Amino acid sequence: MALVEISNVHKSFGEVEVLRGIDLTVEKGEIVTIIGRSGSGKSTLLRCINGLEQINGGEIKVAGELVHSRSTDLRKLREHVGIVFQQFNLFPHMTVARNITLAPVLTGKIAKGDAARELARKVLAQVGLEEKIDAYPGQLSGGQQQRVAIARCLAMSPYLMLFDEVTSALDPELVGEVLKVMEDLATQGMTMILVTHEMNFARNVASKLVFMHAGMVHEEGRPADLFANPATPELANFISSVR
Amino acid sequence: MLQLNFNQLWRYQDEFLHGMSLTLLLTLVATVAGLAIGLAGAAAAGSRFAALRLLVRSYVEVIRNTPALIQLFLIFFVLPYAGLRLPPVYAAATALSIYMGAYATEIIRGGLASIPRSQVEAGQCLGLTRWQVFRHVILPPALRNIYPSITSQIVLLLLGTSLASQVSAPELFHAAAFVESRTFRSFEVYAVVCAIYFTLVLAFRLAFAGIGRIAFRWPTGR
Repeated sequence: MALVEISNVHKSFGEVEVLRGIDLTVEKGEIVTIIGRSGSGKSTLLRCINGLEQINGGEIKVAGELVHSRSTDLRKLREHVGIVFQQFNLFPHMTVARNITLAPVLTGKIAKGDAARELARKVLAQVGLEEKIDAYPGQLSGGQQQRVAIARCLAMSPYLMLFDEVTSALDPELVGEVLKVMEDLATQGMTMILVTHEMNFARNVASKLVFMHAGMVHEEGRPADLFANPATPELANFISSVR
Repeated sequence: MLQLNFNQLWRYQDEFLHGMSLTLLLTLVATVAGLAIGLAGAAAAGSRFAALRLLVRSYVEVIRNTPALIQLFLIFFVLPYAGLRLPPVYAAATALSIYMGAYATEIIRGGLASIPRSQVEAGQCLGLTRWQVFRHVILPPALRNIYPSITSQIVLLLLGTSLASQVSAPELFHAAAFVESRTFRSFEVYAVVCAIYFTLVLAFRLAFAGIGRIAFRWPTGR
């Protein structure tokens, strides 16, 4: 069974149909990058996967559970599906340690105190920021904040991580450190779905590339194949425009 | 030439002290009750039910757009016709609480609305319940945002407690009027009372600044 099964998903915002019948499966351990022009529905699709957006048709299953079914405990599901946002969305009033341990403690995954701090230290080590454990988000650079956001996800030990244009809000010189962390996660076998404009990451790290166009999956396949031989003029155009 | 004479006032120390303690008590009661009303009102203002939203809206607009003195008179002089006769101090505490509640509703509602939707989503995406998101993600930064306005409002409330004198609740201003009627030393009496109010407000502001500094340590901006 695939970890994520998306079939015939439709989604509209008012009159505008943003997703027009999406089919996509993601196996455990896969790294799927979704590329496409602004407005092609990439971020919306990602937000549908963990139930941040309702859908108007079709279905999405994560680990066999229907995300948009009334009987699904969305909260429970989200404990295992992490998402990292473009704007980091760290909690400004909490230290890095508390940002990271808030959810694990409140959901009963781990006890308050030493155990929590140990967990914070462990995941911060994974993103190379142990020394910032007591800093506030406002004292960190954008790249550091984004790495903390990734660490905050990791602390819930998710089996799936979603990345929504996580480097788009960063100064160019800070992009590399975040991509490096994501590459490390990829080599450790984390299942990842990411929406990105980082074509090198899509080309070199991803195991599957998805090109979205006009609310549909226009092309999908191995990144090397798609970049070398785009089957449609839309993808060919897109690749030449971002190069 | 005006001859100042404060000596006669010393005999009335107790009146001033009692007045001051009632002023502080009214402020405390109306602050606590007003904040409770405000929190409930702010929650109701975001309710799914239009009737409830309209009710809160009307409450806030009516109270904020009419004189507090008239609100007090309604409670003290008119409610008895409906069978509810409140002693002066209770009437004043009730009126001031309702008054404070309207302002607090508006301030707290604005403070909660100032927290970006993305913060709520981040909390939800970490598997937190609605209550946990409210308590840990929304409330602390919202409190920081409303802190300056809510503390100013408490100061205005402290000064506003002088209205209670009009239904003969023996608070500070009422004590002043009493001492003046006994001594005919108008200027001295009101100078002293003014200084007391000023000192109280100054103490409140210092305390609020200190509390704020301790409670809200995280850096803002960015």
